[in-house]
Amino acid sequence: MLDSLLSTWTVPVAFAGVAWGILGGALPGISPSITMALLLPLTYGMDPTLAIVMLASTYVGAEYGGSIPAILIRTPGTNAAAATVTDGYAMKQQGRAGEALGISLYSGFLGGLFGLAVLVTLAEPLSNLALAFTPQAYFALGVLGLSIIASLSRESLVKGLIAGVLGLIIATIGTDPVTGLNRFTFDSPELLSGVPPILVMVGLFAVGELLVQTSQPAVQAIPERARIRFPGPAMWRRIALPQLIGSTIGTVEGVLPGGGGAVSSFLAYNEARRWSRRPEQFGHGSPEGIAAPEAANNTVACTALVPMLSLGIPGSNSAAILLGGFLMHGLLPGPMLFVRSAEVVDGLYAGLLAANVAMVIVGYGIMGPCIWLVSRPKPLLMAFIFALVVSGVFAIETSLFHVGVALGFGVFGYVMKYVGVPFLPMVLGVVLGFMVESNYRRALVLSDGDHMIFIQDRLSLVLLSLGCVFVVGSLLSSRRRGATDKDMEPNAEPKE
Amino acid sequence: MQSTRDLVFGSATLALAIGYYALAVRIPESQLADGVGPQGLPRIYAYLLAGLSLVLVVRSLRMRRREQEAQRSTSDSQRPEPAAKAQLLRPAGVIAIGVAYVVAVPWLGYVVSLAGLIAATSYYLGGGPPRRLVVVALSGATLFWLLFVVLLGIQHPAGFWPSLF
Repeated sequence: MLDSLLSTWTVPVAFAGVAWGILGGALPGISPSITMALLLPLTYGMDPTLAIVMLASTYVGAEYGGSIPAILIRTPGTNAAAATVTDGYAMKQQGRAGEALGISLYSGFLGGLFGLAVLVTLAEPLSNLALAFTPQAYFALGVLGLSIIASLSRESLVKGLIAGVLGLIIATIGTDPVTGLNRFTFDSPELLSGVPPILVMVGLFAVGELLVQTSQPAVQAIPERARIRFPGPAMWRRIALPQLIGSTIGTVEGVLPGGGGAVSSFLAYNEARRWSRRPEQFGHGSPEGIAAPEAANNTVACTALVPMLSLGIPGSNSAAILLGGFLMHGLLPGPMLFVRSAEVVDGLYAGLLAANVAMVIVGYGIMGPCIWLVSRPKPLLMAFIFALVVSGVFAIETSLFHVGVALGFGVFGYVMKYVGVPFLPMVLGVVLGFMVESNYRRALVLSDGDHMIFIQDRLSLVLLSLGCVFVVGSLLSSRRRGATDKDMEPNAEPKE
Repeated sequence: MQSTRDLVFGSATLALAIGYYALAVRIPESQLADGVGPQGLPRIYAYLLAGLSLVLVVRSLRMRRREQEAQRSTSDSQRPEPAAKAQLLRPAGVIAIGVAYVVAVPWLGYVVSLAGLIAATSYYLGGGPPRRLVVVALSGATLFWLLFVVLLGIQHPAGFWPSLF
């Protein structure tokens, strides 16, 4: 890790990623996953390790960036920053905006370091399962991943499963992995190698969200300048417990697929209030009400990578975009990543360490540009984001066909959001489709077509059983809650 | 109403499942094929999608009946207003601008087309006086050209401009 940290470009790239992430996260409506999706095509020509570092740093920066408009204009830049709004804006009204921003930055920094320690500790031991993975276990792992993500979607299970199957269907376009026959290509040479997952991600997350934003009202401009004030020793002591609570909850939520920054922030806020000696101050400008959620969402930015790196299952939209970055560079996250591409994993750890330090330095200096950017007219911002998307997608393989495909997925993403169908299962279906199909067929070749091989293999049996448990559990819990009422909620936001 | 959205979406995915199945069974057999074959999993996916779509359609029909009963007992104030419908159509204009860009860029070249995309999108979304937008769009397109073509070395379409010189 030290070698990676000392390499010429890791630190500058982490700084650049954090700066991009803070700017993107600070724009209301532009989530960390969209900020990463916009950057994804630009990393195509980069060294794989640096590309991954840049994307991961963007994730770290965006989680902090979301708190800037939350504190200054009562509009969270990201879903995860929604829990920061109440006390952050109350502190701003009391003339303590700089202090609130400082607490947010400091708590995010500590949360990020905590998350990184958890990531380094957990990811590699989990990946040691690698030697036990047979083709049938890989197939079962793919099925488990899809079951978890679909059943933990905040929208309904049926819609989550439909999205997952649609993703698997998209993954069948192109050349058949066993026979080499062309499937669903409609004699188009552009479709021979299938639909690249990056186009699905940029289309759904970036173009889809852009279309959603065109029908949303603009946010107010930030009227004043704010200077960050870092907390002193007395404040460190006061916010230490909420930070610990936030980091612990962020760890649990991040490691479990389907959790996310927004859920962990609200849980951390509630727990911090429950354990506080001054619970009555929550909602009226309590520093603890900022420290807990900010520590939580920055912890998630690292711990969400545990299932992604070790099992190849992204637990959140942002982790899915990072997975897209791995795939774009021919790296397959999962059990074998630590064996085949250990240098990339080391580089990622080093990059995350650099990114968390960079967050403090860049976060302090970038306040002016952030305020300027958030105050730009929304139509201009949208137009420039649109220009970045079409230019970036073209840059991947210098193909206008790809731009058209990304626009198509954007329209589909808008429809999905309007109906309340989650994106993540579909992205996961596209990403895991090849693994699911090739390993399913390889396993059946080994067993002469006998499906019992999936039950006879112990690891496969455990993984498939877990998948069933998640789906049945989700069905039972939604029935208990009244699934119908839940489905009536329009336009539920995806997890970040 | 959410039930209508679910109904339309469920019907569309059901139609997609049928169309996908029809295409899957037409995939030719191969001498190299394993027991499952290239059409094996696509057929399973088609069955899965059809089944799930049917569940969504049936559930949305039941939900629709409940919603209609609830509306009858209250008032009809929940009908979507024309303004809300217009807002829903707004993204269609943005996509049309994107499609126009894809069509125009081989002829007009990257910088001019991108300037057109920026100006048209911001004007369409209410970005202010056209003259100002043209200046901003041209500056923006030049910045993108510097980033992608000069800095990153990615060759975007030059259009008919080189043939003039």
